[in-house]
Amino acid sequence: MNQVWIAIIAVVVAPFIGGLLAGIDRKLTARLQGRYGPPILQPFYDFFKLLGKSKIATNRTQFIWLIAYLVFMITCLVFLVLQQDLLLLVFLLGFAGISFVLAGFSTKSPYSHFGANRELMQILSYEPILLLFALAVYAQNGSFMISSIMENSTPLLISLWPVFIALVIALTIKMRKSPFDIATSHHGHQELVKGIMTEISGPYYALVTLTEWYELVLVLGLIALFWSNPLWVGILIALGAFILELLIDNVNARLTGGLMVRICWAAALILCVLNILYIYFMRGVA
Amino acid sequence: MDIQGMLAVAILLPVVAAVLVFLIRQYQLRGLIVIVTAVALIVNSIYFLKLDLPMNFTPDNPIWGTIITVLDYAILLFYIYAGLSLKNWLVLIFALTQIIPLAWWEFGVGASHALEEIKPAFLIDNLAVLMVLVISIIGSLICVYAIRYMYDHEEHKKLEKSRQSRFLFWLVLFLGAMNGLVLADNLMWLYFFWEVTTLCCFQLIAHDLTKEAINNGARALWMNSIGGTAMVAAMIYLYNANGGNIEYLSLSNIIASGGVEAFLLLPVALMCFTGMIKAAQMPFQNWLLGAMVAPTPVSALLHSSTMVKAGVYLVIRLAPAFNPVLGMIVAVCGAFTFFAASVLAISQTTGKRVLAYSTIANLGLIIACAGLRTELAIAAAMLLIIFHAISKGLLFMCAGTIEHQIWSREIEDMEGLAEKAPLTTFITITGMLSMFLPPFGMLLGKWMALEAVYAVPLAAILFVLASAATMVFWAKWLGRLLQVTPKLGKKIESLSLSYSVPLWSLFVGIFVFGIGIAPLYDRFIKFAVDNVIPIQHAFTEGWQIILPDAATALSLEKGVGLLGSYPVLPLFIVFAIAIVLPLLFVKLKPQELRPIYLCGEHAGDVDTDEWYAEADNVSKLELGGYYFESAASEESLNAWVYVIAIALLVIMFSIALGVSL
Repeated sequence: MNQVWIAIIAVVVAPFIGGLLAGIDRKLTARLQGRYGPPILQPFYDFFKLLGKSKIATNRTQFIWLIAYLVFMITCLVFLVLQQDLLLLVFLLGFAGISFVLAGFSTKSPYSHFGANRELMQILSYEPILLLFALAVYAQNGSFMISSIMENSTPLLISLWPVFIALVIALTIKMRKSPFDIATSHHGHQELVKGIMTEISGPYYALVTLTEWYELVLVLGLIALFWSNPLWVGILIALGAFILELLIDNVNARLTGGLMVRICWAAALILCVLNILYIYFMRGVA
Repeated sequence: MDIQGMLAVAILLPVVAAVLVFLIRQYQLRGLIVIVTAVALIVNSIYFLKLDLPMNFTPDNPIWGTIITVLDYAILLFYIYAGLSLKNWLVLIFALTQIIPLAWWEFGVGASHALEEIKPAFLIDNLAVLMVLVISIIGSLICVYAIRYMYDHEEHKKLEKSRQSRFLFWLVLFLGAMNGLVLADNLMWLYFFWEVTTLCCFQLIAHDLTKEAINNGARALWMNSIGGTAMVAAMIYLYNANGGNIEYLSLSNIIASGGVEAFLLLPVALMCFTGMIKAAQMPFQNWLLGAMVAPTPVSALLHSSTMVKAGVYLVIRLAPAFNPVLGMIVAVCGAFTFFAASVLAISQTTGKRVLAYSTIANLGLIIACAGLRTELAIAAAMLLIIFHAISKGLLFMCAGTIEHQIWSREIEDMEGLAEKAPLTTFITITGMLSMFLPPFGMLLGKWMALEAVYAVPLAAILFVLASAATMVFWAKWLGRLLQVTPKLGKKIESLSLSYSVPLWSLFVGIFVFGIGIAPLYDRFIKFAVDNVIPIQHAFTEGWQIILPDAATALSLEKGVGLLGSYPVLPLFIVFAIAIVLPLLFVKLKPQELRPIYLCGEHAGDVDTDEWYAEADNVSKLELGGYYFESAASEESLNAWVYVIAIALLVIMFSIALGVSL
């Protein structure tokens, strides 16, 4: 029963944290750009306003995939707080992304298709990093269970810092931050038509916003795993990574999709693989 | 029923049925015979589960051995004839490299007398029964599908003289040969059935008799003949290197040696190579890619339950006889094929070609699992065989059904099919999702494979990159099917019973086996794994495929002791909430419908997809898929693929030679 409560609390609380972080993001970014910026709670105001808008759309299938996107994302979060299998979580997260892409493809709109194709390239970029993260955790802990990470008193960051760097790159993509905000961006100056979001409006746009908040909390949660004992250090590290992303976002311009795939695969191959091999090597020596 | 009768039904009934089908020229009667045979095969294969396994069987009458020898030479002579008449020297050469050594060995050396003494002829264990079930059930459904498909196929081609009888002859015969192949323990018999499948494959691919069909059939023939040659070489070596003793001419004795006898490693590597060719592993992927010129039931059969599955079956069978180094290199070979085929699939524009690359990739994954040789990996391989057969059989039949509705195989022509042919598309999309979506069996297999692969880091990296690429190529195709402008689609769908029964059966199969995977695993697959690698400790220990309540409780109690978990039922519930419920209940009222955003250049309302192009000319809006031609095309990658794949094979044989000699 305890487990069920943990899951329910996480599902209820996560959007508040995610929305708050989004508010901080907007405020901080505005300050970095020399603007005053909206209030911290602005994302919530936006969210409720969107919910009240009339429901219009270009077709029905798009809705189904957007709901799937939300449900799979929540499932990932539940997997995280219940300390389930990390590899399976990564697969679920990957499919959540695919659902969103399919939502983009469902409508015959050129902008939506642009965005969906670019979103696919993003998945192609970060998926190997996340999968290798799971394998690296296995190499270190001998288990794919998140519970094993929580029980391990030595923080993962000490042995897996290269994987951590790779994961920060993946975080940039997941947060839709420059230089990797290829599919769509949060900033008006990056694009005139909002990529994959073009045909999503009203309550369904609110749904996507909600999903993004869950996603943000989830990915930061994965980063917090790097210092799980005591967990507050990990949470501080995750928040640090979040602030770092905002800085990176504001000092970079958007790159091309091809370059993103190359950089990410290089990061995955060099950082993660060397890291994993090093762990094997050390184990062999010991 | 006794074992003799069951073997007769599994192997000889398809032969008899094939002959009948060939002789009968009437559509209804012929169809009836195929259906009756299909039902008999399915029922018979289920009876195999009731046997007291493992058991073996050798027919009393020595005449069977003689018949097989005679037919062996008949088939090889036919290959020579085919090579000469097609003027295809590769076919000729690789037929000669089989028949000459074989004749020299049996009659020159005089081994033929000793060869008759090999016992047992058949070994029936859980792995063999698993294969028999896959072949008999899925293969039979495809044969039923073919009855109507070939009728439509010839209607469309406006053939004067029907060749459906001939087609069904080879199709039904194929099932018998496959059943024989997976049950055989005597290597001579295994080799015979192996050649029959190669022959059926050649005849079926070349069926349409176009230039391309004949060329591609011949390619399948010579490539698989290389495999046959390797098998002949392995058999002769096993006989001669052991001082003319027939002990190791039976599969079970090779496996029982457990990779310790050094001289056995070379023949094991040769047979593994044979299996890899049949499973279309790189660099031999081209024969399977070429096979798509054939009518779709052929592809469905080759890709799901027969032919390529024979290849992976043999490699899994031989896995215990690898030594650790050979196992590792086989794992890397398979993982490389998995990776390369997944990346190449991204750039394909033809639906069947995407399916073909996906098959090659998944076979690579299965072979890699066999190379890993842990209990978990072998279990993953078996699950992948079952689920791949179901999903791919379904997908190819869907591809065929789509082809007979739009008369095209190009993905671009399938744009918006969700509106035009909703039922077919619904089944197709479910089939595609079952290839990579979490609750379904394929992903479970992939998950197990990834959790098992840690021992070979190189293979692990290839797995990871391939998994990412897999998602991309499926999503791209799904996207084209889904792209819909409401109110513009015209329904073109009509499904006859011969199409819809096999389609829905496999559709249901995906869910039944997917949800019931835990009992399937506990009651059956566990024992099949035990046949390959004797289970030292309960290998599910630490690896949980769990039911709802047990899931979280166990992970907390056992803590670090738990290595991984895959909660099947909860994931199916998630799937239902995420996709099934919205599909049923999310509705869009007509007044909520809006045209797409085109910066104000959209010409009209929701009932049009036209826009104002330059000078306000009204043009139709056209969108296309993106195929990553510059990065993932065959032209740019194939050279690398061949170099690496051949290098891996050279390494494999160097190791085997080094250990054996």
